[in-house]
Amino acid sequence: MNTQKVISGFFFILAMTVNFGFFYGDPANLEYHSAYELFAAIVVNLIATILKLGDKTQLGSVLLATSLVADIQLIASATVWAFAVYVSKNVGLESAVAIISLSGGALIANFVSVLLFIGDTLKSKR
Amino acid sequence: MDSSNTIWIIIRRMRIPFLVIIVTFAISILGLTLIPGMDDQGHPYKMTFFDAFYFVSYMASTIGFGEAPYSFTYPQRMWVSACIYLTVIGWFYGIGSIVALVQDKRLAREIDLARFRNKIAGLREPFTIILGYNNITHRIIDWLNDEGIRVVVVDRDEEKITALELENFIPEVPALTADVTHPETLKMAGIHKRNCQAVVSLFEDDVKNTKIALLCRLLNKRIKLVIKSTTRTQSEHLKNLGVRYIEDPFLFVSNRLYLALTSPSLWLLEMWIFGHILKIREREELPKGHYIICGYGRMGHALERAFKKAQISYSYIDIKSTQYKEEKSSAVFGDAEDYRLLMEAGVKEAAAIIAATKDDLINLTILSTAKKLNPHIYTIGRENTIDDVTIFRSARINRIYILEMILAEFTYLFIARPLAYRFVRLLHTKDEKWGRQIVEKMHEVLGENPMHFEITLDEDHAYALARELKKGRRITLGDLRRSREDRNKTYPILCLLAKWDEKRYEMIPDDSLPLEEGMRLLMASDEESRSDFEYIVNNYYELEYVLTGKG
Repeated sequence: MNTQKVISGFFFILAMTVNFGFFYGDPANLEYHSAYELFAAIVVNLIATILKLGDKTQLGSVLLATSLVADIQLIASATVWAFAVYVSKNVGLESAVAIISLSGGALIANFVSVLLFIGDTLKSKR
Repeated sequence: MDSSNTIWIIIRRMRIPFLVIIVTFAISILGLTLIPGMDDQGHPYKMTFFDAFYFVSYMASTIGFGEAPYSFTYPQRMWVSACIYLTVIGWFYGIGSIVALVQDKRLAREIDLARFRNKIAGLREPFTIILGYNNITHRIIDWLNDEGIRVVVVDRDEEKITALELENFIPEVPALTADVTHPETLKMAGIHKRNCQAVVSLFEDDVKNTKIALLCRLLNKRIKLVIKSTTRTQSEHLKNLGVRYIEDPFLFVSNRLYLALTSPSLWLLEMWIFGHILKIREREELPKGHYIICGYGRMGHALERAFKKAQISYSYIDIKSTQYKEEKSSAVFGDAEDYRLLMEAGVKEAAAIIAATKDDLINLTILSTAKKLNPHIYTIGRENTIDDVTIFRSARINRIYILEMILAEFTYLFIARPLAYRFVRLLHTKDEKWGRQIVEKMHEVLGENPMHFEITLDEDHAYALARELKKGRRITLGDLRRSREDRNKTYPILCLLAKWDEKRYEMIPDDSLPLEEGMRLLMASDEESRSDFEYIVNNYYELEYVLTGKG
């Protein structure tokens, strides 16, 4: 068993699952989506990104790219939320849908990342 | 080696600090959103993520704007006290890592490499790569810079590169500390670039030079190589590699001595190309008679060849400088035994003595001892380094061969003045009669201190002339010698060599020579006529006037 692999695998998959947890539910209704879950998704995604840093291989670069995409989408989602609450003073339907769909995009990036990770693991003989 | 190495080093080193910062921030923010607070009207409230993120960001970075959005309750303050220590430590750890990174040698090296690469990529002018920085290459750099040829220097020794950087060459000379026998280094120095003209390798070590020659040949076939070689076998190797230009300082000296012995006019022409005045000074005339060579190493052998070829009687004293120093534990020549050696070699009757060991001090003392024994003897000294020219000068030695200087001069000529170089080479195929005629002709037209320059008849260097030649107009060399004040007069200007291509060239062409576009000329003139000449070939009106008298 490779500890490094366990740790990175853990964070990659957790990033995806937490992301899914936030995304799942009626996209028009923010009541079904917990801000804590979005926060957790952002933190776990950032950690996953750091873990992917420094791998100079082809696969490492693609993994890093997917992670960066997920980070940007999730942070954008949180920013839209904060903007809706504090600047426009009401969270309307439009902002609710934007928040959820942005996190949906991040989910796909995370999904790709996990797929690549699993594919690489299956390929290696050790 | 990747060009983004710098970034990778930073990223690898910053992984843990980044992780620590993210985790500590996350814990602090989460805690703040969970702990209930109280607003200014006494209503309970919980911080939102944005409030918490905002607060933690300025708390962790020790900026500290105060408690926001409302004054904290005691439970909040207790949590914040814990967070301060947690996040500030994480933050300082991150900053500490960055500071450590800045001082990191490996990173500094990578940054140097990246900078060097950028400089090479930015070179637009033709440039030459010089391997090794020392007295010789210093001179070459100076001269090449004057000619507008850029130089890139690579040396293994960091101190030398620092010394080079302190020289403040203008234009700048990109320099790199690296192993020159490594192909990667040569690639970095730009050997693959289209405007890279030549590689110069003048190391003491022949084997190293050959290795470099081989590498360069494999990396870039088209490039000019200037490689030093001090033995015949080495030169053979290099020739087999296809190195066109091999610098053997001993061979240069031998050839020059041969010219001086057999044909002073040709010798004078060669020296003039290298900046001598066009007149043999009295003390430069070699005497006839018996010659003594002291030192029978590579230089001694080369001199012997010259004497044999010139059929001049000579004898040699075999002094090896290292052995001499070991046996006598002194670098000063001239004890009783040495006197006897010189007397046996016939110093009293000899016309000249050559000190040719590789130790400057021994050479100096040999010559002064010989002078003591025979005050009329002509002294010739070998000087190995450029450093102490003054000592040799003040020792009143009649003729000095400074090997490093000769190397530098030939390298410069080969790279920057290909025509002058070809002219020197061709001189060695001529005889004294021819040489005397040329010198007389030059004296007649140009006086005793002319200069020389090269010009290519293309639109960049001779705009008007090249355009006219392209139209098919017939213009001869003589036309261009006419004065632009009065076309019936001529300027003191002579063409020494006209070159069409590698195979076709003509020495001292006649005035009736028809010019062609793209040919190259080596001209001799004075400073004023040179600027007039360049003015005429570039300006339509002036050209028209000297050709037809109109305009």
